[in-house]
Amino acid sequence: MNPHLLTGLLVLPLFGMILLLCLPRTWERALKIVGVGTMLLEFALSLQLLAGDYSTAAYQFVERYPWIITSTVRIHYHLGVDGISLWLVLLTTFISPIALYASWSTITTRIKEYAFAFLLLELAMLGVFFSLDLFLFYVFWELMLVPMYLIIGVWGHQDRVYAALKFFLYTTVGGLLMLIAILVLVGSYAKASGGPYTFELAKLTTLVLPASTQYWLFAAFALAFAIKVPMVPFHTWLPDAHVQAPTGGSVVLASVLLKLGIYGFLRFAMPLFPIASQFFGPTLAMLGVVGILYGACVAWVQRDLKKLVAYSSVAHMGFILLGMFAMEPHAVEGAILQMLNHGVSTGALFILVGVIYQRRHTRLFDDLGGLMKPMPIYCLVFVVVTMSSIGLPGTNGFVGEFMILSGAWLSRGPVGLGHWWLPMTLFATAGVIFAAIYMLHCVLRMFWGPVTHEENAKLPDLHLSEKIVLAPLIVLIFWIGFFPMTFLKPMQPSVANFLDTFDARYRQALLMNVDEPQILAALPSEPTDPASALAYADDAAPATHLTATRRAIAPTREAPKVTETGPEADAIEEQAR
Amino acid sequence: MEAVHHETSLLLAIILLPMVGSVLVGLFARHSSERTVSILSVGAVGVSFVLALIAFIRLYGLAVGDTSPVLVQQVYEWFELTVPGKGPVPINVRFAMDTLSGVMALVVTGVGGLIHLYAIGYMHEDRSYARFFSYLNLFTASMLILILASNLPLMFVGWEGVGLCSYLLIGFWYENRDYAAAGRKAFVANRIGDFGVLIAMFLIVGVAGSFEFSDINHLAAESAHFTATAAGAGFGAAFPAHPFGLSATFATVACLFLFLGCTGKSAQIPLFVWLPDAMAGPTPVSALIHAATMVTAGVYLCCRLSPLFLLSDVAMAVIAVVATVTALLAASIALVQKEMKKILAYSTVSQLGFMFAGVGVGFFSAGFFHVVTHAFFKACLFLGAGSVMHAVGAHGDADLTKVGGLRKYMPITRWTFLFACLSISGVPLTAGFFSKDELLLGAATMALHGGKTGSPAGWFTYVGLVLAATMTAFYMFRLYFLAFTGDYQSAKGAHDGGSGAGHDDHGYDPHPHESPGSMTFPLIVLGIGSLIVGYLGLPEIVPFVHTHFPIPNWWNEWLGRSVAHLPGHGAHGEVTDFLPSDMANAGGLLAMLVGIGLAWVMYRNKPLKEPEAPGGFYRLLRDKWRVDELYDATVIGPTKALSLFGGRADQTFVDGILARFTQAAVGLTGWVSSRAQTGSMPLYGMVMTVGVLGLLTWFVTPHARLTIEPSGGQTARLVAAAGPGYEYRWDFDNDGRPDTGWSRAPEQTHTYAPSAYEGYELLAIYPAMPVRGERRFKVGDTWTELPFDARFPGWRTRAGALPPTARQTARGIELRPNGADLRFAGPVEDGAATLPPRRIVTLGGVNLIALPKVRSTVEVRNAFGSVSNDTVEVTLPGPIQRRAALDPAEVQR
Repeated sequence: MNPHLLTGLLVLPLFGMILLLCLPRTWERALKIVGVGTMLLEFALSLQLLAGDYSTAAYQFVERYPWIITSTVRIHYHLGVDGISLWLVLLTTFISPIALYASWSTITTRIKEYAFAFLLLELAMLGVFFSLDLFLFYVFWELMLVPMYLIIGVWGHQDRVYAALKFFLYTTVGGLLMLIAILVLVGSYAKASGGPYTFELAKLTTLVLPASTQYWLFAAFALAFAIKVPMVPFHTWLPDAHVQAPTGGSVVLASVLLKLGIYGFLRFAMPLFPIASQFFGPTLAMLGVVGILYGACVAWVQRDLKKLVAYSSVAHMGFILLGMFAMEPHAVEGAILQMLNHGVSTGALFILVGVIYQRRHTRLFDDLGGLMKPMPIYCLVFVVVTMSSIGLPGTNGFVGEFMILSGAWLSRGPVGLGHWWLPMTLFATAGVIFAAIYMLHCVLRMFWGPVTHEENAKLPDLHLSEKIVLAPLIVLIFWIGFFPMTFLKPMQPSVANFLDTFDARYRQALLMNVDEPQILAALPSEPTDPASALAYADDAAPATHLTATRRAIAPTREAPKVTETGPEADAIEEQAR
Repeated sequence: MEAVHHETSLLLAIILLPMVGSVLVGLFARHSSERTVSILSVGAVGVSFVLALIAFIRLYGLAVGDTSPVLVQQVYEWFELTVPGKGPVPINVRFAMDTLSGVMALVVTGVGGLIHLYAIGYMHEDRSYARFFSYLNLFTASMLILILASNLPLMFVGWEGVGLCSYLLIGFWYENRDYAAAGRKAFVANRIGDFGVLIAMFLIVGVAGSFEFSDINHLAAESAHFTATAAGAGFGAAFPAHPFGLSATFATVACLFLFLGCTGKSAQIPLFVWLPDAMAGPTPVSALIHAATMVTAGVYLCCRLSPLFLLSDVAMAVIAVVATVTALLAASIALVQKEMKKILAYSTVSQLGFMFAGVGVGFFSAGFFHVVTHAFFKACLFLGAGSVMHAVGAHGDADLTKVGGLRKYMPITRWTFLFACLSISGVPLTAGFFSKDELLLGAATMALHGGKTGSPAGWFTYVGLVLAATMTAFYMFRLYFLAFTGDYQSAKGAHDGGSGAGHDDHGYDPHPHESPGSMTFPLIVLGIGSLIVGYLGLPEIVPFVHTHFPIPNWWNEWLGRSVAHLPGHGAHGEVTDFLPSDMANAGGLLAMLVGIGLAWVMYRNKPLKEPEAPGGFYRLLRDKWRVDELYDATVIGPTKALSLFGGRADQTFVDGILARFTQAAVGLTGWVSSRAQTGSMPLYGMVMTVGVLGLLTWFVTPHARLTIEPSGGQTARLVAAAGPGYEYRWDFDNDGRPDTGWSRAPEQTHTYAPSAYEGYELLAIYPAMPVRGERRFKVGDTWTELPFDARFPGWRTRAGALPPTARQTARGIELRPNGADLRFAGPVEDGAATLPPRRIVTLGGVNLIALPKVRSTVEVRNAFGSVSNDTVEVTLPGPIQRRAALDPAEVQR
C-alpha cells in the first residue's frame, strides 16, 4: 500500500496544471492531451485505492501532518479514505476525464484555462472527499466553487453570467453559514476541553453539545449541504446552472458536485450532531420525498431537454436523501450506491444532451423529434441510459432504488424516519411511476414519430469519439445492475460502523442531556449501573454538587487536557514547533 | 407436498440462449441478411425450447409419490438487505423449475418459438428486421427470467423486462407517433402495477424475512395450518394467528398490492386500458406478448404465491369480483368492434378475467390451465388475423367491413382460425371447453360451498362468467363469419389496388392469397393444439353422467405438486357432490349454444352493416365505455395541470422567494443607503452630532451586569461586569437593603442563609429508566401537574398512577401524589407532603429534589455618580442530604 497515495492524487492535478501553464495557448492539441492525460493518469492512480483494506471501518491511506500549529490552534493536513468515500473518489476520477474529453467538441476558446479549471476542480473535489480535518475540508469546499463558477460563467451559454452568479451566491451563503458553525463548534470543543482550537473531525465528534446548540449548528451545516444536494426548495439554482453550463461542466456538476452535499451529511453533519440530525432527519427525508414527486412533475412539463434532465436530478437526489435518513444499513448503502448510479446515468444523459446540442444547437423538444431514423445508435444509448435512470431491474438504478425504498420501509427503529415511514415510502415508491412518465415522455418527443424538421433528417449518428466516451458509462450501468456486490462489499463495514456509532452517540447524548458542551472519550458499551447515578448522595460527600450526577452517568470521561492520537503524533508536533 | 430440490445447470442456459441471441442480432447482425438473423434468433429460442424440454422430462421423472420436485440453480448473490430482527437477507440470482414453472417455460419457448418462426414470413422485408428479432429474443429471455426466478426481486427483473420489451415492440414502427404513444401508455400502466409489486415485496420481506418463493409459501402454509388447527381445537377466530407467521390481515394487504401489479401486467380493471392500444405492434408481438405469455404473468404470480393468497378470503373475493367485471366489460366491448385485432385484444382482456376468476375462487390450477389453452387458441387467432392482414395487405389492423369470404382464398388460415374459435367458444371436447369448464366449476363450487352458506361473490362470479362466455362465443363467431364467409368486400370496389395499405378510406388488395409456409406451419400446430391440449386436464367426472373418468386429471395432479388448492379441491379427491359440476357444464353449454346461434343468425354470409345513427348503449360499447376519457378527465388531466402549475411555480414562486426576493431586498437596502448619501453638509453634520451625543450618553451611563456562579453548597461567586471607574454595592438577599458599602471589587463570594431563599425548583432524576437523565421543573404557586417528558415514560409505568401535582410554598415544594405509592420523607398533611430543600425523596422510582432559588442585586456607580442595578436569580445546587429512610408503612401512619 502506497502511504502517500492520497497526497499523490492531490499533487498530480497540480503537476498537470503547472504543465498547462508552461505550454503556449496555441498548442491546442497538446493542451487537450495534457488535460485529459493527467486525468486518466489520475484515474489509474486512484485505482490503487482498491488495494486498501475495506473489511474494516477504519480509514485507509491515512496521512496526518501538522499544518498550522500554534499554542492555541491545531490544524492538520489529515487525509483518509473509507468505504463511504472510496467509490465517490473513484467516481470523481472516473467521470472527470470523460467530462473533459466530452467538452472538446464544443469548447474552442480558452482551452488552456478550461483544462486548468477542470484540473483544479478535480483537485478540490478529491480534497473534500479526503479531508478529515474540518479546516482542510472547508478550504477544499470553497475552492471547488471557483473553477465551477468560471466554467459556467466563461464557457457557458447565453445566460451564463446570471446562472454562474446564482450558483455562486447560493453555494457561498450555505458555505459561510457552515464556516460560522464550524467556528462555534471548534470554540465549544476548546472550551470543554480547556485545550487549543482543534479542527480534527475525530475529536470533534467526541463533543456532546446541548440539544439547542446542536439544532443551530446542524441547521447551518444542513443548509450548506442541502443547497448543494440540492434539496427542495433550495434547488432553483440547479436548472439554471445546468442549462447554462457547457457539457463538461454539467456532467461534473451532476455526477460529483451534487454528491458532495450528501457526503457532507454522512461524514460531518450527522456524526457531529446526532440529536439534531435525528430531530431534523425525518423532515429532510420528507423534503427528499417532496423532491422526488415535485422534481418529476416539473421535469415532465419542461420544454428544454437539459432542464428535464436537471429536474430529474432533483428527483433522484430525493431518493438519496430518503435513503440516508432512513438510517437502515442497506438504505444507507443504497443511498451511496445511488450516488454512483446517478453520477453514471445522469452524467451519460448530459453527454447525450451535449451530443444533440452540438449537432442542432437547440435543446427544445419542439425542434427535435423522429431522431430514431437518422441516429439509431444514439437512440439505443439514450434508451439504455433512460432505463437506468428510471430504475429498470438489470440496470444500476434498480438496485439503488430498491435498497433505498426497502430500507425506508423497514426504518422503524429509534433512529430513522420515525412515524412517517409509511407515507414516505409509499410516496417515494410512487415516484418510480413518475420517473417512467417524464423520461418516456422525453424519449417519445425526441426519437419517435416522423422527422418533423428538415435539419434533423440528415443528422450524423454517434462518432467514434462519442462512443468511446459513452461506452464506459454503459458498461458501468450494467455492471452495477448485475453485480452490485462489487461495489457494496467495500462500503458495508464503514456504513455499519457509521450507523452503530451514530446510534450510540445519539443515545448517549440523549442520556446525558447536557447544558454545557462536554467531551466523551469513548462510548460506554452498556448503560452504566442505574444505582450509581445517586451513589454520591448516599456517600454524603460534602463538596459534591449536582454536575457530578452527569459525571457519574458517563464514568469514562476524558481528562480535561487534549490528548493527541498517539505518541508519534505528539512528536511530529513537537518538531513543528 | 414435500419440496425436493435437485441441482441443475440447465436453467441458466435456457435463459442465456435467447439473451445472447438478442445481443448478437441487435448489435452485431444489424446489417446481416434476413437469413442470418432468422437462424440466430429462431435457433436460440429453438435450442432453448429443447433444453426446457429436457429439464421438464427430468422433472417428470422426479415427480414420484407425494413430492414436489424442484430443479434449482444458484448462480450468484446479487445483493443483500438487512431486515431488522431477521438479519441479512440475501437476494440471489437463483433459478428454480417446478411443475408450475416447467409448464410455463415450455409454453413460452414452444409457442414463442412458433411465433418466432411465423415472424420470419410476417416481417419479411421490414426495414428493421434485425431489431425486431433482437427485441423478440430479449422478450423471451425476460419472460424466462420471470418464470424461472426463485425469488421475488429476480422475478421482478423479468416482470419489468417484459414490460420494456412490450414497450419497445408496441412502438416498433416508431414513425407512427400513435404507436409510440401506445407503447408509453403500456409502460406507464405497467409501472403503476409495479408500484404495487414493490410495496408487496417490502411488506413480505419485513414480515417473512425472505424473498424466496419457497420460504414465503412455506410460512403461509404453516400459518394456514396453524389457524386451521386452532379453529379445529375450538378456539375459533378469536385465537391469535401463528406467532411467527402471517396473519390474514397481512395477507390481505400484501395480496391486494400484488394484485395491483397483476392488474397492470395482466390488463385487469382498472389498468386494462393499455392492452387494446398495444395492438399497434406487429401481429406476432400481439400474439406472443399480448396474448400468449406476458399478460398471463399475473396469473402465474398468483399461482406461484398461491398459499399466501389462500390466507386471505377478502383478497380472493376481491380478485374474483374484479376479474368477473373485467371479463364482462371487455367482452361487451368486443361485441361491437369492427377491427379484427381490436376484437381479439378485448377478447384477451376478457379471457384474462376468466383466468383471474379461477384464481379468485381458489382454483389456481384451473386458472393456469386456461392460461395454457388460451396461449394456444389466442396465439392461433392472432396469427390467423395476421395472416389475413398479410393476405389483404392491411397494415395495423384489418377492417371487417372490407374483408369477407376469405375461406375461398386462404383455406389453411380459415380452418385453423375456425378451430381456435371453436376452442375459445367452449365447444365440447376442444381445449377451451375443458379449461372453461374447470373455471365454471370453481365458480359454482365457491357459490355453493364458499363461506358457511354459499358465497355471494361466488354466485356473482358464476353468473358473470356464464354471461361473458355467451358473449365470447357470440363475438368470436361474429368475427369468423364476417371474415371468412360471405363475399370479399374489397374485390368489387378495386379502388386503387393494394398500394393503399394502412389507409382506411381505401379498399384492400383485391386478390388475397394464402400466406407462406413459415406462417401457416405455426398456424397448423397451434390450431391442432387448440383442439387437443385440453386432454391434459380431463375433468374429474364425466359431465351429467356422474361417474369418474377412468384416467385421473393429470393436470391437477401435476400442478398440485407446486400450487396450493382449497381444502376439498384436491388432486385425489373423491367427488360426492355433483351439483357444481352440473352447473358448470350446463352453464358452459348454454353459453356456447346461445352465443354461436345468435352469431350464425345475424352474421353468417352477411357483410357488416354499421347502424346509421347508433343508439346510446351501442355507442357507449363502441366507444369502449369511454374508460380512457374517464381516466383523462379524472387522473391524467389534473396531474398534468398540477405539473404545469408546478413548472411555473418553480420559476416564479420558489425561485421568486429565494432568489428574487433576496435580490430585491439587497437592492432595496442599497437604494435606501444610497439615498442617505445626499452630499448635504448640514445633514452630515447633524447625523454626526447625534452619533457623538449617543456615544457620550452610553459612556456616562453605568452598565450593571451580574452573573452568579454557584460554587458548591450554599456558596456562590458573584461577578459584576467591569467598567471605567465603577464602584459596586451588593445586596445578596435582595431585601432592598444593601449588605455592603461601595467598593471597587467587582467580585464577591457569598454563602446564602436559608432565610434568603426566594423559592424552589424541582429536580427529577431518573435512576432506573431505560434512558436515564434529569429534568428540572418550574413549579408555581398553584397545583400543577408535573410535565414529565414523554421520552422518559418511567413515571406512569413505575407509579402505575397519575403524575403527581406540585406547588410552591415558603417551606419548600408541596407534592400531592395522585394516588402514587407514597414513599416519603416527612409527614403527610391534608394529602400533601412538603419536600424539604435539598433532600432526596423517591416517588414512583423517580428521585425528586427541591432546590432553593436565591436572588441577588448589584448596584453600579460610575465616576459621574450615575447609578444602575441588575438582579439575577439562580438555583443553588447542593449539598444534597442523605435520603430519608422511611418505609411505606410509616408513611401511611
